Amino acid sequence: MKHFITGLAPALLASALAMAQPAPNSSGGYADYNQLTNRLRSLSSRANGTANLQSVGKSVGGKDIWLLTLGRGAAAQKPALAIVAGVDGSHLAGTELAVQLAEKLLTSQSDSVKHLLDTKTLYIFPLVNPDAQSQAFASLKFERSGNDQETDDDRDGRVNEDPAEDLNRDGIISQIRIEDPTGQYIQGKDDPRVLVKADPAKGETGRYILITEGIDNDKDGKFNEDGPGGVAIDKNFTFDYPFFTPGAGEMPVSEPENRALLDFLYKAPNVYAVFTFGPYNNLSEAPKFDRSKTARRIITGILEKDATVGDQVSKLYNGQTSLKDAPAMPATRGNFAQTAYYHYGRLSFSTPGWWAPKTAAPADTARGRAQAGRGPAPATGDNDDVRFLKWADANKVAGAFTNWTTVEHPDFPGRKAEVGGIAPFAKNNPPVQFLNDNAGRHLKFLTAFSTQMPAIDIVNVKTEALGNGLTRVSAQVVNRGLLPTGSEMGDRVRYVPKMKVELKLANGQTILSGRRMILRGAMAAGETMDVNFLVNGAGKVTLEAGNAMTGIKSTELTLK
Amino acid sequence: MKKIFLLAISLLSIPAFAQQNKPATLPDGTRAVGSPANPKVPMRWNHYNDYGMITKFCQDLAKAYPEYVKLESMGKSFQGRDMWVLVITDAKTGKADRKPGFYIDGNIHSNELQGSEIAMYTAWYLVETAADQPHIKELLQDKVFYIAPTINPDAREDFIRNPNNPNSPRSGMMPMDDDGDGQIDEDKYDDLDGDGNIVMMRRKSPLGRMKQDPSDPTRMIPAKPDEPGEYEMLGYEGLDNDGDGLVNEDLVGSYDPNRDWGWGWQPDYIQRGALFYPGTLPETQAVKKFFFAHPNIAGAQSYHNYGGMMLRGPGSEEDVPYYSPADIAVYDVMGKAGEKMLPGYRYFVIYKDLYTVYGGEIDWFALGRGIFTFSNELMTSYKLFNRKSDDDRFQNDEFNQFSKYLLMDDAYVPWKPFKHPQYGDIEIGGPKKNYIRNHPGFMLEEDAHRNMAFTLFHAFQTPKLDVQSITSKPLGNGLTEVTATVVNQRVIPTHSTHDVKFKIERPDYITLKGANVLAGMIVDNEDMGITREQRRTPGTLEVPTIPGMGFVKVRWVVKGNAGKYTVEVDSRKGGVVEKTL
Repeated sequence: MKHFITGLAPALLASALAMAQPAPNSSGGYADYNQLTNRLRSLSSRANGTANLQSVGKSVGGKDIWLLTLGRGAAAQKPALAIVAGVDGSHLAGTELAVQLAEKLLTSQSDSVKHLLDTKTLYIFPLVNPDAQSQAFASLKFERSGNDQETDDDRDGRVNEDPAEDLNRDGIISQIRIEDPTGQYIQGKDDPRVLVKADPAKGETGRYILITEGIDNDKDGKFNEDGPGGVAIDKNFTFDYPFFTPGAGEMPVSEPENRALLDFLYKAPNVYAVFTFGPYNNLSEAPKFDRSKTARRIITGILEKDATVGDQVSKLYNGQTSLKDAPAMPATRGNFAQTAYYHYGRLSFSTPGWWAPKTAAPADTARGRAQAGRGPAPATGDNDDVRFLKWADANKVAGAFTNWTTVEHPDFPGRKAEVGGIAPFAKNNPPVQFLNDNAGRHLKFLTAFSTQMPAIDIVNVKTEALGNGLTRVSAQVVNRGLLPTGSEMGDRVRYVPKMKVELKLANGQTILSGRRMILRGAMAAGETMDVNFLVNGAGKVTLEAGNAMTGIKSTELTLK
Repeated sequence: MKKIFLLAISLLSIPAFAQQNKPATLPDGTRAVGSPANPKVPMRWNHYNDYGMITKFCQDLAKAYPEYVKLESMGKSFQGRDMWVLVITDAKTGKADRKPGFYIDGNIHSNELQGSEIAMYTAWYLVETAADQPHIKELLQDKVFYIAPTINPDAREDFIRNPNNPNSPRSGMMPMDDDGDGQIDEDKYDDLDGDGNIVMMRRKSPLGRMKQDPSDPTRMIPAKPDEPGEYEMLGYEGLDNDGDGLVNEDLVGSYDPNRDWGWGWQPDYIQRGALFYPGTLPETQAVKKFFFAHPNIAGAQSYHNYGGMMLRGPGSEEDVPYYSPADIAVYDVMGKAGEKMLPGYRYFVIYKDLYTVYGGEIDWFALGRGIFTFSNELMTSYKLFNRKSDDDRFQNDEFNQFSKYLLMDDAYVPWKPFKHPQYGDIEIGGPKKNYIRNHPGFMLEEDAHRNMAFTLFHAFQTPKLDVQSITSKPLGNGLTEVTATVVNQRVIPTHSTHDVKFKIERPDYITLKGANVLAGMIVDNEDMGITREQRRTPGTLEVPTIPGMGFVKVRWVVKGNAGKYTVEVDSRKGGVVEKTL
């Protein structure tokens, strides 16, 4: 604690950015695990039965994985949306947005929100990876994605033998640049604070070696390649699992955190769609259909009908949130959101929820940086960094950047080494006050989405007497929602409920033609299905249609 | 010389003489070569054991041979049964979990019973013959065996106790909704005649295209294309229990425990039988935990049926790149020997010669853990008459013939009439649940022995390390160069190529003790003086692998004159050895 205080103050004084706002408590106003737990508890206790808080399991470090269930009435009997955040532990903003969303849902006076809580269930997992996120509140802060599992990140037989070190004692792990003729980096043209890779094609030669802050403890030539922080939960899911890569664990779903999440979801047939707040964006711009990716045995691209739905939802998102210029943020391997689609079979949408808006005249933004600011900056002109710094400057965000300051580095004796760079967590996690507005925008989107969800109806019901107690029953089942009853992928997945149409009979009634129970794949928006039965007998029969994801519509009719 | 003389006498001797001189273990009569003479745990190997019998066998073996056997539980099954594992090694020759380990399991598919008996036979044979057979004694000194007779005890019990057919249940007992109607296990098979077997249903009908084989009434064959049929086949014995117009459509469980593993896992729509994620089942989790706790496992064997195969990975074509020529060459040594040891069995590659498997158990052992693994498909029709039939499977009547001539007609339920609520007047009959896939009793011991022999050959080939030489040479200036050669006397390397590539297991450590080490290096070519220095921890050199039937050379520069040096080799899969010179 002592060197934290003594170290931080000079660093801030030195920073040109530390002028306007007071130094944040270095967690940007974010709630730590205990504060989050208290917030969830008080939120659910104030909700008059509209919210229920439960723990679905514990992290490796022994922290509860909270599930907040919102809605009036029997949760499991209503179509549900899952909202998942904090799978990537370094994404504090996602957790905050998920909680704020819950708070706004419960306090909103709008009819549409009330209707949402009456007719749908929301399963909110605000923090799936609490172990990793706790690093943002520790005395030494660094961007951590791994839980408390002991891992040998570089697979050399030694565990955590080369952690990062806080060489300038400012309480955070930043970057170090060393002037060296073998370095590959130069100062960027758009913002000299940001280092970019030298491009020989442009006549550039490198000037700096760029590493994370720390020394090469095990003298293997790599810096900080095996520190604390175990399995990154958002690399440990089943789809496109990056086996034997740092942070991915020894096999998919090896951790209690994602087992708890998946065990809940796979046993919750009513989940219609999954929303993730995290560093992957398929909402502002939907993935495109690519036949070559769907024609193989292992499917790696979105199916055709789902791509169309994705487009529709993307337009809805952009329209409702009015958020612009989202970074592309392609999916990383083994992440939750893709697994939710490709393996769990639900429509799955993911957004970081917040990104640095463009401030000045738009520079040519090269999109596609999924890099969450950890480790050396990516190769080409990293305009995401430049854009972030522009925004941070304009909004006087304190502590967003540590100016490059000379430091003694024992591995580079006699050479100029400087600590600095964008602060850990800063790029994807703005001070909390910047999120309030975005939480409101996402509430608007979510509410609008819920009104588009499938709505099963049974219409044009006809009963014709054919004589001697024989009745022909005909009806049409229609999806009056603006979205399909399930994803096209869901038609393939065994654990996604099928659309079910059933004629329920009483004693003495028999069906002479037509299947008593019909199980089928998803119905598109507006799709109609004719059902016909010949029933022998008297009295009432009940025609039911739907499933757990759509809700079940039931019509009673009298045999003639 | 003395031994040979004694042996000659005993061969010629009259019974009274033999009685007088026999070792304590010899029973009355003469020991059959290669088999335990007078087992402390008497077993007969011509029947199948239920869970209680397996448990008792494991406990008896541990009680009879405390110096060799420890009984552990890997965890609990879905229904709460202990998943037994027998840990077998000579406890006097080192810590069990620091010896090269060999893992054997059976019965992951519950209807594939005999894997358990073969695993049990192996455990029994190892300890019952260790005193008399030096080769077995050496195996127990060098290796540790982890033998799990059944890793699907719940459904094994279901197969044995409840009505089933030869193919049911392949699954475990976790209830599932198979047909997607929201109900669980609601339309299982029905044992209509209450005889414990689920056999076939047929109905005499001019609409059918099947007929009875004129030479064998137990057998149904297709009518010729130009002749009318006599029967309709109506599937396995059962009713439409839930009135949905389908018969037997939601059975016990209905998933595949052998598609629940953490390498190349794919969901059910790609790999039928997969669950939510690898390790959904408690049984898989238990075995997985056991493997993480025993990184010394260097070889593994899983027993299945049916078809007479010794299978290696990959299970899917996508994984072909992960099998290097060097690793395949190691498999070939075992596979080719196996084809000799197991007449009628063939050495196959799963994806190519059988079918595609994603997320299979042995794929996780082989590629997820870097362990050389085989899976044997036990029993083959070749064994019926010791020949390969030329007929295709529909024309092949060898099973019927075998039942008639060798099993005294025990293998089939003769057709008998039954009044079916949905189908009306039908007949039921066909092969009993314990026929076709599982060995007939009298063949079980022989095939257990042959498969065990194959597996012990494999286990023998796990690494055996030795410090072959330590030499030193003065360098002047008070420096001495110490060079050690470490050999692996078996076929299997300490790390497969795949393991080295992905660093699955840590490197092998070679440490020079009792010296002041200034520098250390790996010697790539001693004659040409080509070395690679290791800067970090020069006293403990790290080598990525010690090849099968190969060696590594390492070198240290130490301060002082040549002294007494100890070299220790510490390998996860190769064990720990030490030599002082």
